[in-house]
Amino acid sequence: MKKYSREWSVAAAFGLLMLSLLIVAPHFFQWQPLLSRVTSQMPAMVVALGVALVIISRQIDISIGAQFSMCAVIAGLVAASGLPLGVAIVAAIAAGALMGALNGLLVAYLGLPSIVVTLATMVTWQEALRLWQQGRLLNLPEGIQWFGQSQAQGQAIVIGATALLLILLAWVMKNIAAGRAIYAVGSDAEAARLAGINPQRTTFGVFVSMGVLAALAAVMNLVQSPQIQPSCGDGMELKAIAAAVVGGIAIRGGRGTLWGVLPGLFLLANVNPALTHFHQPPYWEKAIQGLVIILAVVADGWNQKKQSNNG
Amino acid sequence: MSQPTNQPKWTALLAKHETVLLAVILVEILLFQNLGRNFLAGSNVSNIFRHSVEIGLLALVMTPVILTGGIDLSLGSMMGLCAVVFGLLVKQYDVSPWLAAVAAISLGAFGGMGNAFLITRMNLPPLIVTLGTFSLFRGLAEALTKGSEAYSGFPQGFLNLGNANVLGLPAQLWVFFLVTLLVWLLVHRTVWGRSLQAIGFAPQGARYAGISVERNTGMAYILAGAIAGLAAVILVARLGEARANVGIGYELLAITAVVLGGTSIFGGSGSISGTLLGFVAIAILNNGLSRITAHQIFDQPVSSVSRELSGMLTGMLLLLALAAGVLLKSLATRRARRQSLVTTTNPTPST
Repeated sequence: MKKYSREWSVAAAFGLLMLSLLIVAPHFFQWQPLLSRVTSQMPAMVVALGVALVIISRQIDISIGAQFSMCAVIAGLVAASGLPLGVAIVAAIAAGALMGALNGLLVAYLGLPSIVVTLATMVTWQEALRLWQQGRLLNLPEGIQWFGQSQAQGQAIVIGATALLLILLAWVMKNIAAGRAIYAVGSDAEAARLAGINPQRTTFGVFVSMGVLAALAAVMNLVQSPQIQPSCGDGMELKAIAAAVVGGIAIRGGRGTLWGVLPGLFLLANVNPALTHFHQPPYWEKAIQGLVIILAVVADGWNQKKQSNNG
Repeated sequence: MSQPTNQPKWTALLAKHETVLLAVILVEILLFQNLGRNFLAGSNVSNIFRHSVEIGLLALVMTPVILTGGIDLSLGSMMGLCAVVFGLLVKQYDVSPWLAAVAAISLGAFGGMGNAFLITRMNLPPLIVTLGTFSLFRGLAEALTKGSEAYSGFPQGFLNLGNANVLGLPAQLWVFFLVTLLVWLLVHRTVWGRSLQAIGFAPQGARYAGISVERNTGMAYILAGAIAGLAAVILVARLGEARANVGIGYELLAITAVVLGGTSIFGGSGSISGTLLGFVAIAILNNGLSRITAHQIFDQPVSSVSRELSGMLTGMLLLLALAAGVLLKSLATRRARRQSLVTTTNPTPST
């Protein structure tokens, strides 16, 4: 319990928000709209899981929003050309892996700082996509929405797949050598190298996984509507990084559990609906999210100071 | 950086970052002069700088921040907040524009102080702090304008700052010259400026050398915030309108200019003159692309293409500059190692 106090405090804050909503605005909890809201957050959840891996390895990736958009458009175009959905998914994953590999190559093997590399790739992909699609809405063929199933089944698939990814990745991070290597490289790359881990390969792998997860998230987003916007991933990077940081993933790397990302994301994602249900103007959303990020970082800084004082 | 002294002088000059950048700028000019129309006409040259002075200002003050090994992602959002507060003061509270400009610059400095406090006193990573304030400042700007309001109808005397010429040059260019001189003096001719390079090179070492790391680093963020406020005022004067989305993405262009200019993104080395050249290269790229006529590249109206194309090329340029920097450096260290091997095996140097 004490070990995960950071995660539990975020979960408690989220619980408190839900409780006050339950008292002030019980209609917030109507089943169908609630289910739709949860489903619509699942792509962000998958992206946040990916960026949590990146942050644990002491890197950052802000090109994930652009990767998300690019994968969504590629999957949409493949699907619109009449090929089956499976091919579209594979194309998206391939594109995501390639974009992740480029980041990984530049960061892991050229030793460039990830913030600047991914800033540059973010702009490159974003503008390339705008140049290519000119902001056109892309209509998807029938049978793509909800994987060609009913809405209830589709929502179940999206939520189920996200839950499965969370459980799988959390298990890998805790019990598999590759997962432990990510923590080791994030805590101290040199020590990890001396312990026989290849930090460059680990970092490269993390960026490729990030790309693949962004692609999966894009597909989960794609199936939720009959159209796809080329700008669907704009701002996704901030949302995901904020969810991870608020969820207790230490920005200096090496610490945090993927389970914390869940309350972190839900806390941030509910700022906007909560404002509406408390009858407050919604344009405060971004400011409040910024404040929550800063609070989370300050809390981490304090914890670290306390630990180093005790130790 | 110091070159090996036994090389002929011209190779040292050729390998210098500024020389390479000058060549890039020359190539750009030749290219656009051939492709576009009237690229080098006087009116266009002053146009290039009228439309990019704000980016230049951010790049100038981003340089000391990056010299310390930090980064400030919040500068574009800071411009949005300062622009909105400026508009609010002038239009709602009938403050004179010049007084409101002072208020906007002070607000920028104050915001920079917030960044500085979190980074230096709380000892938090600059990247995530300024990512948080990136969201916070833009969010406050949106909240103040209720998401959509814009302020316009400023007095003509103020709008002249963005649109008139003074002594044949755009008015805001004179402000830019002044800030350039100020930042150059601060970075290259003061103890503070030298200390930034020491801090970026080795923060612990700087501390042992008696440098107040916290205060000196914090000053860089405060300066950056203040000049972002100034850039916001100039941008409002040019556009004639203050809204919350002012300056989106400007921090990226500024960082690109700084890195292109040869300042190490890891901190510790760099120069204002390099940043200026990097800024000119970006400004010319943006303007030149917008002047290439439509049928020459695409069968589309060029205005909708040039912005995306120049954005994309800026991103790629930044990647290339980063990769080239690292590769050249590793090449240089390899050569230096080989030469030191030669001199140790052959005790009589052949110079």
